[in-house]
Formats: sequence, structure tokens, C-alpha cells
Amino acid sequence: MQGFLLRRLLLALVTLWLAASLVFAFLLLLPGDPVQAILGLEASPEARAALERTLGLDRPPLRRYLDWLGGLARLDLGESIRYGKPVAELLRERLPLSLALVFLGLLGALALALPGALLAVRFSPLDLALSGLVAFLQSLPTFFLGVILLYLFAVHLPLLPASGFPGWASPEEALRHLLLPALTLALSRAAILFRMARASLLEVLSQDYIRTARAKGVPEALVLLKHALKPASLPLVTLLGLEGGFLLTGAVVVEAVFALPGLGSLALTALEARDYPLLQGLVLAMAGLIVLFNLLVDLLYGLLDPRVEYA
Amino acid sequence: MKRTLALLVLGFSLALAQTRGGELRVAILAEPPVLDPTASTSQEIPRMLYDNVLQGLVRFNEKGEIVPALAERWQGSPTSLTWTFYLRKGVRFHNGSPFTAEDVVFKFTRARDPKSGHTHPEYYQDIQSVEALDPYTVVFRLRQPNQDFLFNLARPDSVIGPKGRVEEQKTNPIGTGPFRFVAWERGVGVRLERFDGYYEPGLPYLDRVFFRFLPDQNAQLAALRAGDIQVIGLGVSPENALVLQRDPAFKVVTGFTTTEITVGMNNSRPPFNDPRVRRAMQYAVDKKALVEGVMLGFGTPIGSHRSPGERCYEDLSGLYPYDPARARALLQEAGYGPNNPLRFTFTLAAPYPYERRLGEAIAAQLSQIGVQARLEVVEWATWLSRVFRGADYQMTIIGHSEPHDIGIYANPNYYFRYDSPRFRELYTQYLRTPDPNRACEVMKAMQRLLAQDAVNLWVMNAPYIAAMRREVMGWWQNQPTPSLNVTRVYLAR
Repeated sequence: MQGFLLRRLLLALVTLWLAASLVFAFLLLLPGDPVQAILGLEASPEARAALERTLGLDRPPLRRYLDWLGGLARLDLGESIRYGKPVAELLRERLPLSLALVFLGLLGALALALPGALLAVRFSPLDLALSGLVAFLQSLPTFFLGVILLYLFAVHLPLLPASGFPGWASPEEALRHLLLPALTLALSRAAILFRMARASLLEVLSQDYIRTARAKGVPEALVLLKHALKPASLPLVTLLGLEGGFLLTGAVVVEAVFALPGLGSLALTALEARDYPLLQGLVLAMAGLIVLFNLLVDLLYGLLDPRVEYA
Repeated sequence: MKRTLALLVLGFSLALAQTRGGELRVAILAEPPVLDPTASTSQEIPRMLYDNVLQGLVRFNEKGEIVPALAERWQGSPTSLTWTFYLRKGVRFHNGSPFTAEDVVFKFTRARDPKSGHTHPEYYQDIQSVEALDPYTVVFRLRQPNQDFLFNLARPDSVIGPKGRVEEQKTNPIGTGPFRFVAWERGVGVRLERFDGYYEPGLPYLDRVFFRFLPDQNAQLAALRAGDIQVIGLGVSPENALVLQRDPAFKVVTGFTTTEITVGMNNSRPPFNDPRVRRAMQYAVDKKALVEGVMLGFGTPIGSHRSPGERCYEDLSGLYPYDPARARALLQEAGYGPNNPLRFTFTLAAPYPYERRLGEAIAAQLSQIGVQARLEVVEWATWLSRVFRGADYQMTIIGHSEPHDIGIYANPNYYFRYDSPRFRELYTQYLRTPDPNRACEVMKAMQRLLAQDAVNLWVMNAPYIAAMRREVMGWWQNQPTPSLNVTRVYLAR
């Protein structure tokens, strides 16, 4: 188990380094530069040169890359070009919101998908209806779904705020602002979870031991919840790990629709401004989260199925 | 009849209205990189801060005229070489320090130093010296007369902060305006608060202003309808404007801007280095149809690089009437025909919805005369580096929002690559003419020359469209400066 963790950790570090280095390389290939983005259209060449010097952009790319790696070794992510603040500080400001959003989205997706799947395998007429609904939801683009929900819950039945985020000072208000975006994410991701849960429940239900349980007269509801759900949730957990990553990317779109100041909207700004250090820090943080999700899933796997060994 | 009734009701409610206090929440499209207009030319900075927080010696009013701000009055010498400004007394900055001539001298000494990192040192190049005669009198001496001197002093670049403060102004701007800066919540918005020490008694009316960054037009509309914001400050799409106009809870304000939506042509490269091809483009595009069809009636066709609301405007929109046959003939003369159609790449900038739609419609109109424009959509940073800085393009379309910016045609390295000694001569003549009326004549001649040379295809003056809740009063009808001025805005209750 310890050896497994160590290996995974090393692998994670290599993954992160690769991801961030690739971003560094891609940014060099992209046209556009941060100086123009900051100074605007009609900056004089002198102003450009002065700013380039201040930002250290006059040095060769390799040198910048090595400096950045060196900083990383000291746990220093550098300073954002656009905001003039340490990248780590910007990430700290934005991370809680994105994590809360992804967590609520996952929770919501599970809360919609699992009961749905259980109902679907129990009552076949519902199966068709739910599968149809789910296919419909899956085919809707996330931003479109977001706009529909926005109009429904914020404009027509003004129950929830339409957009923005008031900060964490009042957790209740914060939650109210997160509900609609989280619901958007949940609805768009519930579909695939539902289909997976349904398929794996059906598979488990055809096993011998289920037949034995039923033959012994165990009530059907108990068969489902006690004997079928746990083994059926194994593939679901794998999927959840993957979904964690999808949710992060989906969050970019949702954050844009609901004007939430999370990692996603920060990434969009960083890309537009060609803010190299910030973008690298963001990629590092997002890759780190995805690696973390996968690690958690692997560990959870062992808890759910004792037959899984860490090797 | 209906109108008189509405006016009566309006007058009555005004009489009853409570005009003080409250918070105004305004959506703007983007977040600027810094909050100091002397550190970046991002238009979002003056949009929020010009005259609301930061002021200069003079400012633009709603009509675009230059009126006193921190200078009570001023006087130019008969030769236009010496300008004396008499400062308003008793003015304080938001940090409590008094505003004096020292602050003005510091500001303009820095502004005209190209090494200081100030956005536009060239605006101040003709200034030879800035001196404080006493704490409330400042004298500017110019090297040569400059017709745009006062105009440049009214620009957002010319706002004045406390002496010695440069770096801090970028994130924590301190000015003399009716509102003081409170907070910049990164990615969320900028908060302003009423400045109790403002020199104009009784102003401003509002207690707080919150400019929220809402990049998505749908999100803006939803936020307005849900009451999260009360105003969409600019950039309401024509469709949304029509929808909101019909809803009694909202009103739509439309007026003029200083934005010329311009189809830029690379004058130094085939096919547009041939004036016949550029003229053919003018005849082949039906501007009226574009205003009606694409902009649903919002916008005014123009024929040169100046907006109808600006001084010394010359209406040249009729110089090249829509005439596809003439366009075809000109193309034939230039060597293009059915067997050898004119082909080029038309580069559109992704973040600008008006311009993109107009570009697509223009490409469709061009295809009517057999021209094949290949549309290419690029991201903003790409547009800036490839088209704007590198002039690596054939045709593009963008709104030039800066007021009074015809001088860009005097720069042969500007991305149109228009190299005309005659134009440069006229521009210098305009700048050096002290008499405003004679300068105006030269300005008109400049507009005519550009149109005759068909440097670009000037499509229309972009409409100013803002939408707001019914109770928002005193919003500027026009946008002669890139500023959403909220000094006299109030909420009727």
C-alpha cells in the first residue's frame, strides 16, 4: 500500500510537470503577447519595451522556463502578469469556489442518477421515460442548459440569484449563488452516471447470488439496496473519478454563464491576456486536482471491493 | 396625446421621487488589466473611472464638448503657445490631501516622458514646459501650436492623481471625482462609494456604484431581468434592445458613439494595394441594408473616419452609392472577372459580435458581384499581434472607438499601411492651425481625402445602446467618451 502510494505520487509529479511544460510550450507558439494585452491598442514602442523589461519577457524562453521550474521547486508559482499578484494567492482566492461547485455538482449528479437508476431497473415503464429524459439532457450543451435554468429559476420564478458571487462571508448567501450553477453541472453530468448505474445494476441483478437472495424471499427493495447497489457502484466510482475532471472543464463554461469568479473564469482571463505564469499555475492546479481525484478513486475502489490489491 | 400623458406622469413622479441614495449596479463586458488609464489603454478603465473617480483639468460633457473640471477656467495666448490654467480651490483627493498645481506639474512632467511608461507620451510631445506660478495657477508652454492640445487634456490619459503616486494608482486609484474607489474584486467587479468631500455641492446622488464584469450578453440580460443589476452599460445587442423596449419595466437608451466600424484593407498588399479594387469594395457594399438587416435599424452609415457626433464632421456616406455594376466594372479594370475572381481572406475578431455579424453580411454582399472573401475568425490576442501589430492580413473589420482618432492615417506604419504624404501634410496643417474654424476646414479636407483614396470601407457609426430598469434616471444618452458617467444618475422611487 505504501509502495503504491509512493509510486502514484511520483507519477503525479511527472504528470504535473509535463502538463505545465506543455502549456509553456504552447503559449510560446500562440500569437499574441501579454504586453499588448495590458497596454492596449496604441502603446508606444518605449512603453512596450519598458513593460517587457519589468515583466522579464525580454529574456529568452528557455531562461524563463528554467526560472519558473526553479520557483516551483521553492513552491513559488510566480506572479501574475495581468493582476500583478502572486499566482498562489489568486489560486487560493478562486479555488474554494470551484471546488464547492464541482463537489455540489458531483453530489447533485449522484443524487439524481442513483435513485433514478434504482427506479428505472425496478419499474420498466419508468425506464424508458428516464432513459429518454437523460439522453435529452446529455444532448443539451451545458451553456444552453445553464441559460434555460437561469431564466426559469432566476427570472421567471425569482427564487435564486441569477449570477455573481458574494464571497464566503455569509455561507448561506454563497450557497444560494452556487445552487443554480451546481444544478446545471449536475443535470449535464447526471446522464452518464445514470446510464452507467443502470447498466451495472442490471448486470449485477442477473447474477446468481441475487437470484438466491430473491429465492430466499428477501424483499425486492432490500435486494436492490443491500445486495445489488454496492457491487454495482464499483464502475460508478471509476466514472466519478473521470467525471471530476469533466466537471472541472464543465465548470469553465458554467462559471462563464453565471459570472462566477472561479478557476475556470480565471483561466479564460489568463488565456486572453496571455498571462503565462498564471496560466501555468492554473494548469498545475487543475491537473493536480484531477490526479487527486483519480488517486481517491483508486483508494475508494479498494474499500468497496476487497479483492482489489494495490500493486 | 399618449406622449403628453407620459410626460405628465413622468413629471409628477419626478416631483415625488426620492433622488438621493441607493446603490446602482451596472454591468460591463470585461475586466481591465489595471485601473489606471495612464498605464493601459484598455477602454474598460475610463468606462468605470473617468470623471466618476479620476478627473483631469478639463473633461468632456455629454455632447462631447470640453468643459471645466479641475481647472475653473483657462486662457490661451494669441499665438496659442502659452496656456494658463486657473485651478479650482479647496479640492481634495480621496485620500484627504489637497489638490494643487504641484500635482498637475508632476502629472504632465511624467506624461511627456517616453520612458515613464505613460500610455501616450505623444499626446504631450508639443509641451515644452509645465510650471506652477502659484498653488492654483499652472502655465503650459508649447513648442508649436497644437489644435488638439485641449482635447488631449480632456482625454482619460490626462487624469490627475496625487503627486508622486504612480504604482499604487494601478490597483488603488485615488482621484478627485464624485466617487471614491473602494474595492476591485478580481473577476467580479469594482465598487465605488460616494465621496463626501466632492467639490460640487449636492453631487453625486447615489451612495454606491458597483460595476460588475459580465462578459456574456445572455448573462447580462438575465441578470438585468432578475434584478441583479439595474443597467447594462453598453453593448446591448439590437435584438435584446427591441425585446427590452417592449417591456414597461425597462427602458433602452440609444445615442451616438465615437466608434467607426471600419473594414480595414491592407493598402500595401495585393489585392488592396490597387485603389480600383478598394473603390470597387465601396460600391459593392450596401450600408443601408447592413444597418437595417444586421443592426435592426440601429447605427448610422458613414463614409470616412469620423463620427457624426464629432466636431467638424463631413457626411461622405453618399460618396459611393450602392452600385454593383460599377463595382464589377472597376474590378474588371483591375483584372478580375468571372474567370479570375477576386479572392482574399477576411479576418474577423472573435470577441466582437457586431463586427463579426457585419463582416459575414459584407462577405455575402461581396459574393453577389463574384468576389470570394474567405472568412477567418481569430481570437483577440491573435488579432492584435497579427493584424494590428504585424499588418499580416488582407481585409479585417473592427470598431475604432477612440474619439477624434483620424490622426492614425498620418502614420504609414498603422495597420492599414496607408502612406500618403498629402494626408500627413494636411494633418500637420490641421494641428498647427490655431484658428478652430480654419482647422475645421482642414479636418473636413482630411476626411474627403481618405474617402477619395478609399483607404478603408467605413461602414457605420456604432450605435450606443444601453438598457436599464425604469427607475434609473439621468443616464447619458450618448457616448462621446468611453465613460459611463454616473455623477448625476439617481434612482427614482
